[in-house]
Amino acid sequence: MAATAPAAPADLVVGRPPPKPVLLTRRRIRSATWQTALAVALIAAGYYAHLNVTRNLAASGVAIDFGFLTREAGFDVSEQLVAYTPKDSYARVLFVGFLNTLLLAATTLVLSSAIGLAIGIASTSRNWLVRNLARVYIELLRNLPKLLIVLALYIAMVRGLPLVRAAWTLPGGALLANRGLYLPWPEIPVGTAALAAIAVVWIAATWTWARAVKRHQDVTGVRRAVALPAAAGLVFAVALAHAAGVVEVRWSVPALTGFNITGGAHLTVQFTALWLSLSIYHASQIAEIVRGGIISVDKGQREAAAALGLRPSRVLRLIVLPQAIRVIVPPLGNQYLNLIKNTSIALAVGYSDLVGVMNTAVNQTFRPVELMLVVMLVFLAINLTTAAALNWFAAWARPPGTTR
Amino acid sequence: MTDAAPAAPPPIIDLRPRRPRHVVALEWARTNLFDGVVNTLLTLATVAFLLWSIPIALRWLVIDAVGIGGDVAACKTAGGACWAFLRVKGDVILTGTYPFDERWRAQIAAVVTLATVAVALFWRGGVLGLAGLFLAGCLANLALLSGGVLGLAPVDATRWNGLPLVLFLSVFTMAAALPIGIFLALARKSQAVVIRLVAIAWIETIRGIPMVAVLFAGVFILPLLMPPGWYTSSMVSIFVVLTVFHAAYFAEDVRSGLDDFDAGQIEAAYSIGLTHWRTLRLVVLPQALRTALPALTNSIIGGYKDTSLVAIVGLFDLMATSRLATADVEWQAYSLEANIVVGAFYLVTCVAVSERFRRLAHIDAPK
Repeated sequence: MAATAPAAPADLVVGRPPPKPVLLTRRRIRSATWQTALAVALIAAGYYAHLNVTRNLAASGVAIDFGFLTREAGFDVSEQLVAYTPKDSYARVLFVGFLNTLLLAATTLVLSSAIGLAIGIASTSRNWLVRNLARVYIELLRNLPKLLIVLALYIAMVRGLPLVRAAWTLPGGALLANRGLYLPWPEIPVGTAALAAIAVVWIAATWTWARAVKRHQDVTGVRRAVALPAAAGLVFAVALAHAAGVVEVRWSVPALTGFNITGGAHLTVQFTALWLSLSIYHASQIAEIVRGGIISVDKGQREAAAALGLRPSRVLRLIVLPQAIRVIVPPLGNQYLNLIKNTSIALAVGYSDLVGVMNTAVNQTFRPVELMLVVMLVFLAINLTTAAALNWFAAWARPPGTTR
Repeated sequence: MTDAAPAAPPPIIDLRPRRPRHVVALEWARTNLFDGVVNTLLTLATVAFLLWSIPIALRWLVIDAVGIGGDVAACKTAGGACWAFLRVKGDVILTGTYPFDERWRAQIAAVVTLATVAVALFWRGGVLGLAGLFLAGCLANLALLSGGVLGLAPVDATRWNGLPLVLFLSVFTMAAALPIGIFLALARKSQAVVIRLVAIAWIETIRGIPMVAVLFAGVFILPLLMPPGWYTSSMVSIFVVLTVFHAAYFAEDVRSGLDDFDAGQIEAAYSIGLTHWRTLRLVVLPQALRTALPALTNSIIGGYKDTSLVAIVGLFDLMATSRLATADVEWQAYSLEANIVVGAFYLVTCVAVSERFRRLAHIDAPK
């Protein structure tokens, strides 16, 4: 920051007495005058804007009042995570939209990170074909508007996919039709609490084991396996609980019954199109960030690791990625914030996210000020939370003994 | 294009006898494609994917496609793309509902904007001249699109559609936003508390909410803020909020350039008697903007692509006019063709602009 730049050492100049500290210099007075004038002008503009809003709203017979939030919304939404009927209140429908935004953001975040990481690694591959194909992917998708990708995929899905009764069966038992994607989904009729307990114990045990492995490696240099025992432990624990009858997990596979598909989890075609297109779009940006991180790691490090006899996959996992992550995390955080905001293009295909619900509500109630305020505050809150989480992660991912 | 190899090693004179070309090729293939089991498998999988996908794409795009001169009957039976759709509906995609007889005005407006950008990208004159160029381009666009001057028939702003609209909104809002963004960045680093707080509030609020929400604010809130009777059209509102939006993002990019700036240079400038503003204009900004150029390029490309989001608040961008073109029952099935052409346009313009900016960053770099 320029503000914290060291002051010119004027008092060191030979032959000039050090200036006396003065409270009111001419510069300070001028600055204070300007600032006061600006503040007054802003307050006046704000008051004038408020006056205009009141007058304009009065002309259409309303005033700013959040009371309408408890009134019946009367419109339906394309999908909901919590129970909702058109008889519920506006506050409820906004909450439904908020959850839809979160769902879309979270699922897109996971998928785009996975694709982005894979493409980013591929774009630094020694394999010429793979590397250049990855570059083509990145350059192509980075230079197309996301709205184009979303709309093209959505229209292609609506037009190109078969009717429900001729749905395509995907590997693993998922069904794809023009009404959406039907995924096999676990059902837990008995023992949700027991399963949660198992999960908590498992996470704690894995964490403890990982720390023990790390300590052992620090002392002896021998690295024991982490992922395999952890996965085996989880499978074993769930199988044991299942055999004992404490927990029952059923795999609900979607199937065609009559005119509709039942069972499994249903993702609407709007959600699927948004999820996939936003994921492949942001994956290209994430891939570029990952690529930048990987090539920022000194080549000598890879060579040294290879010389020590580490396999290429281990070089990547143990040497390159832990160092690349420091370079990756700050821009990746920005990208995640962008991704969360970009979910608002859901409106273009009629998915009921927060902004979409707000739009319908504004058209019904003509309360743009209140509704926009709610949406802005929600997004600011989401952003601040995410930014805080990312800062925490950046601090955590930093190797010990380094600052920034 | 790669900007790798910043410092080329001194050339090594190879005195070995030249090897036959096929030996070199084989060796290249071995080190780049068949280097170990994993790489060989990857290569084979990639080749299989390309052998499967390229023929499908080629068949659809070229072999089974109906050419630009075909008709709708041929398209119905063909298994590939229907490029005839572009001949028949190209006008609609380009200019949407702009009055048919006045289309040439919208087309010229688009060309004027493109020419403005092209001239600006190779501009060697001063900043004032550049500002004048954009102002002239903007006024020419307004005159051509809205009419009412020079004997041109007036056209309502709701009928400015397609390419001229997208170019007009993206280019001139960003041109207006850049100076504002620079001022915001300076204001954010100002020692005056009020000025700094205003800048921070502007930048962080805008960056915290989605562009779609900002556009809705333009459509819903901005008319309410104005005195009764002042509201003209949503075009003006959108123009204003887009400028406000881009300015916040540019400000952050410029700030990244200012952050890296060496404070010693400012002191040196003061000590040779430059005033505060001259120091900024002659010493700080030229260098800070150059440092910020890559980040600014990203924001400019992003802003250009995202101008298509005006479709969500009811303006007709290229995606919306494509939809308009496929609204005709006869041509309903060919939206993919429209998407491909629009996508190709974005691809070419984005790559051209970012490539030019990349060169600029190199040309202007201190030797």
